[in-house]
Parts: sequence; C-alpha cells; structure tokens
Amino acid sequence: MSEALPGPMIRLQGLEKSYPYKGGQTWVLRQIALEINEGDFVTIMGPSGAGKSTLLAILGFLDAEFTGEFWFDGQAVHEMSPKARGKVGKENVGFVFQQFHLLDDLTVAENLDIPLSYRNVPRKERDARVAETLDRFQMVGKKDLYPTQLSGGQQQQVAVARAIIAEPRLILADEPTGSLHWRQGEAIMEMLSGLNQNGTTIVQVTHDERVAGFSRRVIELADGWISADRKTK
Amino acid sequence: MNELKQALRRTLAQPGLSFVMIAMLALGLGATTAMYSIYHEVLERPLPVAEPERLVNFGAPGPKRGFTSCSTAGNCDEIFSYPMFRDLEARQTAFAGIAGHSAFGANLSYRGGAISAQGALVSGGYFSVLGVRPALGRLIGPQDEPRVGESAVAVLDYAYWRDYLGADPGAIGQTLIVNGQALTIVGVAPEGFFGTTWGVHPKVFVPLSLRGLMEPNMPRGEDSRTTYWVYLFARLAPGGSIDQAATAINALYSGILNEVEAALNSDMPPDMLEQFRRRTITLAPGALGQSWMRDISTPLTLLLGVTALVLLIACANIANLLLARGVARSGEMALRASLGASRARLVGQLLLEATVVAALGGLATLPVAALTQRAILALAPDQIATQITVDFSGRAMLFAGTAALATVLLFGLFPALQATRATLGTVIKGQAAQSVGGRGAARFRTTLATVQIALSTVLLVLAGLFAHSLVNIASVDLGMGVDSVVSFSVAPRQNGYTQERTTETFDRIESELAAVPGVTSVTSSSVALLANNFCGIGLNVEGFDAPAGADTSSSCSWVSPGFLRTLSVPLLTGREFTAADGPGAPQVAIVNQAFVRKFGLGDAPLGKHFGMGDAKTAERNIEIVGIAADAKYNTVKGEIPPLFLLPRRQESRIGQLSIYVRGAVEPQALLAAIPRVVASVDPTLPVQELTTMRKTVESSVFLDRLVAILSAAFATLATVLAAIGLYGVLAYNVAQRTREIGIKLALGATPQHVRATVVKQVASMAAIGMTAGLIVSIAVGRGAGSLLYGLSGYDPAALVGAVAALAAVVAAAAYLPARRVAGVAPMEALRYE
Repeated sequence: MSEALPGPMIRLQGLEKSYPYKGGQTWVLRQIALEINEGDFVTIMGPSGAGKSTLLAILGFLDAEFTGEFWFDGQAVHEMSPKARGKVGKENVGFVFQQFHLLDDLTVAENLDIPLSYRNVPRKERDARVAETLDRFQMVGKKDLYPTQLSGGQQQQVAVARAIIAEPRLILADEPTGSLHWRQGEAIMEMLSGLNQNGTTIVQVTHDERVAGFSRRVIELADGWISADRKTK
Repeated sequence: MNELKQALRRTLAQPGLSFVMIAMLALGLGATTAMYSIYHEVLERPLPVAEPERLVNFGAPGPKRGFTSCSTAGNCDEIFSYPMFRDLEARQTAFAGIAGHSAFGANLSYRGGAISAQGALVSGGYFSVLGVRPALGRLIGPQDEPRVGESAVAVLDYAYWRDYLGADPGAIGQTLIVNGQALTIVGVAPEGFFGTTWGVHPKVFVPLSLRGLMEPNMPRGEDSRTTYWVYLFARLAPGGSIDQAATAINALYSGILNEVEAALNSDMPPDMLEQFRRRTITLAPGALGQSWMRDISTPLTLLLGVTALVLLIACANIANLLLARGVARSGEMALRASLGASRARLVGQLLLEATVVAALGGLATLPVAALTQRAILALAPDQIATQITVDFSGRAMLFAGTAALATVLLFGLFPALQATRATLGTVIKGQAAQSVGGRGAARFRTTLATVQIALSTVLLVLAGLFAHSLVNIASVDLGMGVDSVVSFSVAPRQNGYTQERTTETFDRIESELAAVPGVTSVTSSSVALLANNFCGIGLNVEGFDAPAGADTSSSCSWVSPGFLRTLSVPLLTGREFTAADGPGAPQVAIVNQAFVRKFGLGDAPLGKHFGMGDAKTAERNIEIVGIAADAKYNTVKGEIPPLFLLPRRQESRIGQLSIYVRGAVEPQALLAAIPRVVASVDPTLPVQELTTMRKTVESSVFLDRLVAILSAAFATLATVLAAIGLYGVLAYNVAQRTREIGIKLALGATPQHVRATVVKQVASMAAIGMTAGLIVSIAVGRGAGSLLYGLSGYDPAALVGAVAALAAVVAAAAYLPARRVAGVAPMEALRYE
C-alpha cells in the first residue's frame, strides 16, 4: 500500500459534467466541490438521475470527460494524459458493484487473479496473493467454482475480495448490497468496514440508510448538485 | 498463456457462433486458397532447378520460311533450327550454357510392358544448364551427342521409374525400347522434375540428336536451316544481366542470319527478306520454364479475384458477428477496464479471441481448399490436372494461415474497438450494450451488408456473362455430327515399324473396326479434329494469282474414305474418297467452302487443280473432286479455316492416325471394344487418346466451361453468404428495436406499418448495393471481354438476371425479420431490454 500523503486524498473543485443535447447541454454534475481524506468512509446518496454513478466513475478514473479540477494525492487528474490517469487509477482504486459483475466464464480464483494480471504482477506472486485472499475470505473450497454456482452473498464476497486483492487505497462501491438480503448485505458491509478500519478509503453509493450507517459521512446529490454533506458518526 | 486459455474457453463456450464464423472463414478462404494454389502452380511456381531466376527463354519473332513444328513449349516464334541452335551453343559467350529441347510422342517398352507416353529430346547441355542432379545413375551430357543418331541412351522420369520399373536400381544399364529403338538406361531424373515444359510430363529423356529415330515421320531437320523445331533456353553467366546477354547473343545471331541464312531465303520478297535479316533473339525470364499453356493468366486472375470477393463477403459476415458479440460483451469489457485493464489490452484480448477463430478457421480451410481444388481439377483436362499437385503442406498452408489471421484481425479490429468503448458509468446503469450498439455500429453493420449486396451483384453478373458465353459456345454449329462418334489414335511408326507395316496396320484396324457389330462407319485423319492440332501448307492454286508475299496457305489433312459420311459433314458437290484413291491413282482432293472462297474458285471448283509448295512454281497436280460444307477443324471457337483433304493412302509418310468410329450403339460400348480390336491387330500397339468426340469438344472449350462453372458456383456461394449477412443485420436490428416497435404498436401502429420499416431498410440497402454493383460489373465485364464468346462485356441479360436473382434472395432474407416485426406482442416488447 502506498504511503499516505499530506492533504486530502481526493479534492474536487468546480467539477461539472454535461452531454450535448439538441444544440444545448444536459447537465449531470454541477459545481461539485468536495474533499475526501485517506481512511474516510463516505456514502453518496440521492435519487435516480442525481449523478451518483457518474461521480463514482469520475472518482474511479474511468470518465475523464468533465470540466473543473480533480486532484488525487495532490496530483492534477484533470491535466493527466489518459495513460497517466489509467496508471494512477490502476494503482489506487478497486470497485465493488451492485450486480457483482463477476466474469461468469472464469472461476473464483481466476476472477481474483484478473486485477493482478492487469497490473502485470508476476505469476508466482499472483498465485500467492490469490491463495492468501481465498484463505482470508474463507473461500478456498470454492476457488474452482464458477460465479453461477455461488449464492448472491458469496458472489459479492468474491467481488469484494477481487476489489481488494490488488491492495487499492480507495474502494468505490456501487450499491454493494443492492442485490442481497439484508443479512447477506450486513456481512458485506462489515467486511468493508473492516477494510476501512485497516486504512482503506471507501466511497459507496447507496439508497439504503442502514448501509449508509456504516459510513462516517454522507454526501447527498440532487440534479447534479451537492445538496447536503453530513457526518453520520 | 492465461489469456490464450481464456480465449479458447470463450470460443468453446459459444460453439454455435464459433462454428458459424469458422465455417464462413473456411468456405471463403477455402475457395481462395484452392484458386491461389492453382494460380501459384500455373503462373508462379519456378522450375525445381538451381537458381531458376537465372534462366532465360529464347524467342525469334519474324518471318521464316520452311517447315515449322511447334508444340506445347511455345508458339512458332520461339522455335529454332537445329543448325542455328548448334551454332549459337558453340559460339556464344554470354551465357553459362544454352540448351535445346523438343517434345515427342513415345511408345515405351520395358521387359514386355508397353505404354504410350510423352518424351523429351534434350541437348547434351540441358541438365547441366538447369543444374539438375540425377536421382540415380547419370543424366544426359555432351558425351551423349557424338554425332546425330549415335547416342542410344535414355534417362527415365522418376515417376515412370518408380511406377513402371518398381524403383529398381538395377534398371541402370538395361534396355528400354523407345519408338522401336533400343536405348540404354543411364540414369533417373530427380523426383519432382517434369522437364521444362509446363503441361508436358515426359516419361523419358533422350538426346536431341536422336530426333530422326524418335520421330521418323517428321522432316529430317538436323542439317536444315529452314526446318524449325528446337526450343531454346539458357542460363545467364555469373554476374551477367539479361540485357548484356541479349546484346551479345544478337551480335552472334545477326551475323549467322546475314552471312549464312539470308542466302537460303533469297527468293523471299525484298521487304520480307529485309525483315528476316533484322530478326533478333528475344530473351524472356525462364524461371517458370516454357509453355503456352501458362497463357491462361487472365481467367486464373479473374477467378482468383472472384474468390477474393467471396472471401470479402464471408469476412463481412464475420465482422458482423464479431460486432454483435462485442456488443453483448461490452459490459464485460467495461468491467475489465474497471479492474485495471487498459483499452489496448482489452482490444488485444478480443483480437486474441478472433485469432483463435482464425486459427481454427485456417485449419478448417485446408480440407475445404483440398476438396475445392479437386473439384476444380476435375473440370480440367488430364494434361493440366496431372500437372497440378494437390499440396497443402507449404505455401498454401502459409497462405491460408496468413490470410485467415489477416482477415480476422482486420475485420475484428472495428468490432473490438466498438466493444471496448463502453464506460463504467454505462455499465453501472446497465446501458453498455446500448452505448456500443448505437448508431455507429448500426451504420457499420448496414454498410457491410450493402457492400455484400454490391459484391454479390458483381459476381452474379460475371457468372451470367460466362454462362451466356458458354451457351453461345454450346450452340456453335460445328458443321459436323459428333454424337455417337468415338475417336482414338495409334502411332505404329513409334513402334519402329516400316512404313509398309504402318500402313497395313492402319488398314487392318479400320477394317476390323468396321466389322464390329453396331459400328456404322469408320474413318481416319492425319490431323486430330478439334484437338488444337494443325497442318498448314502453302499452295499454288489454279486460277489464283497470288500477289507477292500473299498468304497462300491452307489447312490440310490426309483422310480415309468415308471421312465426310462418318463425321456427318455434308458433301455439297462431287464425291467422297473411295478405296480406289490409293497409291498410283491420280491425286485428288476435297476442299471446303472457305477454301473455295479464299482462292476464288467461283461456282465451278470441281476439276480445278492445285499443288503444294511455292505459290508460283509448285506443280498443280492435285484435282479437286469434292466440295464439303464448312466444318470446324482444330478448335470449337476458332474461325473455320480453308481446308483441303487428301486420301491418306496417297501419302506414304503417315506414322500416326486419328481414327473415328461412328456407331449405332452407346459410345461406352465402342470405347470398350476399340482396345480389344486394336490388340487383336497388334498387341504391342498402344491406343492413345481414346474418347468420345463429344468429350473432345468439351475439352476444346474446357477453359470456358471451367470459368463459367466456377464463377457460377462462387457467385452462388457469395450470394448465400450475403443473404446470411443481410438476414443477420435485419434480425439484429429488429431485435434491437423490439421495444420501440412495441411502443409503436401499443400506440396504434398496424403490423403493416412496422413491417414497412423493415422493408424500407432492405429496399434502400438493396438499391444502393445493386446500383453500385451494376456499375462495377459493367467495368469488370468489359475487362473480361476477351474471355467471352459471342457477346461483349456489357450484356443486358446478365445484368437483369443478376438483379432479379439477387432481389429474390434479398426478399427471402428479409422475409423472416419482417414477419417477426409484425408479430411482436406489445406487452412483451415493452418488457424487452
């Protein structure tokens, strides 16, 4: 894990995003200004179409079509080349999705291996880290199963394991419990909380107040604007 | 390695889709590989000799008088007299060596087993100039040419030695009877070496100086500078260029022409003599050997182009399938991007998956190509088919592999770029497929299908042109009746028989055949009909005042009594030959209408006389006793030449005859009976070229038939592939628009209205594609004009036929999607995602 730098991990200043539409523009995000420190656990909430997922994609370095400033560890992401942006994202960010988004034609072990292979980690080290992660998440017996052979909770467990296996400093979770029963979801949230307590910064999007309750801060979006920014603990 | 494993797994996970892509690739590439393999074999494959690119072929265009004997090795501008060859060979310094050769028909007999085959007369320098080494023993060298007629040695072709002599090393030193002459076998040529004339596979090589013994019927040419029969090639001297060699050899050649040969042609008109004096030797690259049969580059190139278009259509389908698969997997690609994959890596992964398809497609291509090539060669005459080896081990495999990889990667790139366009945001919103399956991709798919329609139009028009041409050829009036006639040839002189025994053998075969039940008549000719053989002689015709330098030649043939009756050629006036027209009887001739016209014989040609030889001085000792209707002579497509027929019994030098048997029974029965009858006359006499006359006619136009059948087959394949592609595009578009269609239906649109949207799309694609295709077709048709018979490259019937056929196919391809769109249930459609 990289050493924490002084100042916020993430700083957005006057960030906006829009799409051209019939000679005008449709705004998705308006004048977003926020700071997220290393070790934070932040929830983004808001109604459908508020811009939550778009903001998550920008924070994940996957969407660079915005105006304004995006600083990460003091580096100006908005000025970076696509290649440099991709490198920073790859080194620092992991994702967890509502629909798990495991690769169905890969086994559990292969799903865990994917992020490491994309980071060109040597084969031997990859095998060791996959084995260690399987052990840590108590999934050794399931390593050769395919996602469709797992329950929803188990699939999200694999998705979380896949998100952290490359040891990201920031986990972005989009409705991580949205497809799970509450008991399964609670287990996943406890898992994320544990990661956060070990220093991983987490930003999640959810509609569920109980899920938001695991975080320390809630940012609410409405029509692309930040309408509230409150602490929960 | 991991990626490759996953790519394989992905290919196997969608067996249906993978199978369709592999099948399309195999069909398109199989046809192209087969054609390319034949193209390479005929037009590109060098002789299997040392540094073939250093070989040059000799030509000597310009006037020459005397006897010429041209063969498969080239046209009559490429032959030299034997003394000229020896002069050039002895005095030249520009080449490492010059070699001469000539083909001959050979009756081979070894320990009682006799076969009829082709042989090659080769000079002592032939093998050394080529740089060929023997498989066994030694090859013919300068020591085998001490004097004309004095080198009784033979080198065997490898295949002949293997197949007929059991690859017996003890054959060296044994005696082989070649055309009745006992020759000592001194060696075996290397495997795969078939001489230097493409289309001719000699079973035996004998010294050039033995020509008089091997071909006793031909004019003796070893001492004559006006008898032309030797083909020449040479190897450039080390470091020497073809231009330097041409300059040097022409200095020598010009000297011989002017100092020695011009005097022999002093009776030439002055302007012709001047041209004769200024003749030069032309040097052409000789890596491929010598053969006029290679002059089929136009149809081969055209057919290769046709198969390339088929491949293009197949690739368009593959691109469409890859695009559809890419759209379905765009979410996965975006997800992989979120897990750290760069776009380049994702594109690489998709291309790797395409490569797996390409590799499997490339493998599947080989059997398809082999079958296609076998089918193509089945349409070709044996002499060409046997020359082309079905070999998919080397170059063809490389071609198939490279082409498969190139096409799949090329056509897989756009779908790969499209599939990796989706962003995580769209994945999160579940809209990845819509994002990448949007207007750009739809336009791409529609464009591909439209291009397929255009290419199919071109291929169908071409197929129509060649089919029409073939119909024209089939309806050519041959001027004779070939059905129920079987032909073959025998060459007793090649068995070393005397002329008396040869003539007696001919007579006995004809009379024995006439006695066979079911045979209605038998005849023969010295020149085989419709087989590209030719005999031409200058004449002095009564009443024809030939201007200086005028062409006074006519085609000729020596025939048996009943020739016109057996071949159903109408006798317009006069009489046929009879048994009385034999040796010692007055010399008589039957001429055709073209002869009467050419020599201006008017309304009363009977009783007029002509003579063979000089147009002014030859004795006019042959009386015209019959006029025959015009009939085809040496080719089906060629013009009917002036022709005179003479009784074969009045010519004592005929060593080989083509015999025609007309029967009232099935030709198969005659084909079976003939070898038995000939064997009963002479068991050692091989029966050659036994076939029906109908088959001879077909062989004469095999190239037209080949091009017509192949272009029709490939056009059909292309159209089916295009129809599949069009169906795929329409079906996909309908599936994509199901929700929109449901809304329209829910809002009151009728099924006819929504169906019209599909029909409109098809109509616009067909209109654009067919218009573009027709424009290209007209240009391509004009380019192919030289291959057509009796029509130009612009043929309205072919254009209309192609449009009608394609319109029907397009309508069929659109039928199911149009029916499906009209049958969409609104509630179901609104639930569709």
